[in-house]
Amino acid sequence: MSHSAEKKISTYKWQLMLLFVTAFQVISSAQLIFAAEKVDLTLLFVFAGFIALEWLYFIFARIITKQSSFELEMIAFLLSGISIVIAGSINDNFAVKQLIAVALGLAAFLGLLLVLRDVEKAMFLRVPLAFAAIGLLALNLGLAKVINGALNWIDVGGFSIQPSELVKVAFIFVGAVTLDRLQSTKSLTKYVVFAIVCVGALFFMRDFGTALIFFFTFIIIAFMRSGDIRTIILICTGALLGAMLVIYFKPYVAARFETYRHIWQFADAQGFQQTRTLIYSASGGLLGLGIGQGNLRGIYASSTDLVFGIICEEWGMLLAFFILIAFALLAVYAIHASRRASSTFYSIAAVAAAGMLLFQVALNVFGVTDLLPLTGVTLPFISRGGTSMICSWALLAFIRSTGFKQNVNDT
Amino acid sequence: MKHTTRRAFALYAVIIAFLAGVVILFATFVLNGGAWASNRANRHVYTAGQIASAGVIYDRSGAVLAQSVKGKRVYNASSIIRKATLHVVGDAAGFISTGIHSAYKETLSGYSLLNGVYLLKQYGKGNDIHLTIDANACATAYNALNGRKGTVGVYNYKTGEILCMVSTPTFDIEHKPADIMTNTEKYEGVYLNRFLSGVYTPGSTFKVFTAASAIENIPDIYSRTFICTGKLQTSTGVIICSKVHGKVTFEQALNRSCNSAFAQIAIALGNNKLSATANAMGFNKPFKMGNINIAPSTFNVDNANSADLGWAGIGQYDTLANPYHMLTVMGAIANGGSGISPYLVDRIVSPSKTITQRGSLNAKTLITMNSGTADKLKALLRSDVVNFYGDSRFPNLQMCGKTGTAEIGNGKKPNAWFVGFSQRPDLPLAIVVVVENSVSGLVSAAPIVNRVMQELASSYTES
Repeated sequence: MSHSAEKKISTYKWQLMLLFVTAFQVISSAQLIFAAEKVDLTLLFVFAGFIALEWLYFIFARIITKQSSFELEMIAFLLSGISIVIAGSINDNFAVKQLIAVALGLAAFLGLLLVLRDVEKAMFLRVPLAFAAIGLLALNLGLAKVINGALNWIDVGGFSIQPSELVKVAFIFVGAVTLDRLQSTKSLTKYVVFAIVCVGALFFMRDFGTALIFFFTFIIIAFMRSGDIRTIILICTGALLGAMLVIYFKPYVAARFETYRHIWQFADAQGFQQTRTLIYSASGGLLGLGIGQGNLRGIYASSTDLVFGIICEEWGMLLAFFILIAFALLAVYAIHASRRASSTFYSIAAVAAAGMLLFQVALNVFGVTDLLPLTGVTLPFISRGGTSMICSWALLAFIRSTGFKQNVNDT
Repeated sequence: MKHTTRRAFALYAVIIAFLAGVVILFATFVLNGGAWASNRANRHVYTAGQIASAGVIYDRSGAVLAQSVKGKRVYNASSIIRKATLHVVGDAAGFISTGIHSAYKETLSGYSLLNGVYLLKQYGKGNDIHLTIDANACATAYNALNGRKGTVGVYNYKTGEILCMVSTPTFDIEHKPADIMTNTEKYEGVYLNRFLSGVYTPGSTFKVFTAASAIENIPDIYSRTFICTGKLQTSTGVIICSKVHGKVTFEQALNRSCNSAFAQIAIALGNNKLSATANAMGFNKPFKMGNINIAPSTFNVDNANSADLGWAGIGQYDTLANPYHMLTVMGAIANGGSGISPYLVDRIVSPSKTITQRGSLNAKTLITMNSGTADKLKALLRSDVVNFYGDSRFPNLQMCGKTGTAEIGNGKKPNAWFVGFSQRPDLPLAIVVVVENSVSGLVSAAPIVNRVMQELASSYTES
């Protein structure tokens, strides 16, 4: 290939990628639209709407920002598209809801970018956001107490909202801003208190998975700020001791993890979800049985927590592993974007957001396949559910914001 | 600022850990995918715990041994054949772990790493399995066992194909007896395929191994003579013989199965040489037949005194022999020293009618003997029949073989053995028969050998 031809292709790289992604989406959604004898018009409109949304975003983003690197959004749209097809393969209503979730997610992404354009101004939001986050968790905790179970979502007019998902965005925002702006011990202490309150509240909600995600993100932020391995080791040791105390005083916590690595012994009890995920994932083979042809979809929480199994069974293990690689690439992108960032805030926020996403993917995928204990967290961008989708897109804004120019005198 | 950007690289550690997890996950899918997809909870494959739409299992002539009809597993129409092939075919519920239904459930369900269970969904059934066994020969063996516990195995020692494999007690899979769990005497080890998973005291059939060791280690063995007074006194104990044989040569000692002579030979050989021969001929080795594990034969005289060694030399002591192994040893002797591995699966045919696996391509030599030793043993085993058992017991079969009557103690009647083969070039078959708690090898096992071999001589002859 000649030099000029090579240059031509690299110039049109994102356009080619968009065509490729769109082709994939058309093919996968067509399988659903034309599955029955009668064309499913609702699904047709949902997918057409989704693809229109996608193209509009890229066209306007290109015109307004003149940027030519869209890897992040490309991955996010690809994963969101898969999510809508899976939702649509269950019923039309889910597909409509999931499209709305993607639209809201995109709005949250753009809104947060707008806020993040100016770090100085965004700074003022940190205290109200911190209080709003704690308030949300307290509200959730209050409701959960009434129902007396592991409840981490609130029903609002047909849409279920997971407050912990929204708090994730605030957690990174508050962490990155606080530590960026003020290096005093006082501000650090405040953030540590905020983190302990968040993790503690999640713990009392028995949402151990999300509590772990918050703790992991806290470690990343603390390391990004201090660069001190000893501090990190100290924090982890403290957390480990705390966890041991909890297990000692509250044995039911340990009981929840006793099936870990023994799922086949409890195949029809506590190991039900994991064993069925493995059985049906393997049934799909590398190439999959075809969209809608699987049996895992009949299992409780299959399109939310167990969605990785649905992808393996129906879309094939090859695609499922490609998705995992895409999440890893997202993190690699964040590292490099973070190095070019014009402000420490962007740098910390990008790495923290990518780390949070990747950690959550690991907890979800390795949890349902029994490589890690099952904690019941969602798969970002793909699990069915509005708040999870909105949060995933909002976290993406932290990575994208590394492109902003700032005139801040950085420390 | 510079510091912070450099710290971002720490995220690479997380990415690497994540990718390591991804690789481990993929590897577990590759390794365990078949087992997972074949799990009884998989509703693509099973309905109410039964393989609903698995492939067909055929015998060598194309007779259906098991197939799926409208989501139900049905078996051969003949009750005798169902009983005779129970352990070969296995049950859809998986009690018989060495049966084709269990050992090849991935194949029957049509699983492959590439396509998962797609073939099953598309064609409504998995891969078909064509076996090497002859259902009629199995029925003959089952009838010849006549309600006694034991096993019969026959294979072609030139190709490795197993033609007959029967284990008793058995039952009719279409009418599973209600008392199968409670009548422990009648159904003792009913889910066990004695041919593959059974181990028995070999008794005098072990003299073949002692003889092999003598041929290789005692140069003048054929010119030696042994005195049998009905027992052999050693410094550590007495070995009893079945009768007073007087003065016998090596060949006569084997023909008449003289314990005194063979105990003397074993003691003359010593622990190490006898062990070396037994191990070389397949004792203490875990064999596999396709997906199926074979129970290993065990021989250990490390701590044996001279009386123990004498008992070991005539197949008593702690020695245990597996019928599949013994059959392969007969194959090695018959086939000039090369014991071809017996196999059961002739071919696997996918729903799209392509042959995805051929048993003959996987046949290998399981036991290798010096060809000179093999030929001498063959002559000795032929001499057993000609000079002692009588060809009249096996008309026109040109049988070679050795009987065994293994004492098992505890006041129980001995286990009867016959191991041997036909030396007719058009009938290259080796056979093993074990009848539990019976009279003797010659009285109990030899007639079964004749019936099964006669049946095969008329139905199965190589051109």
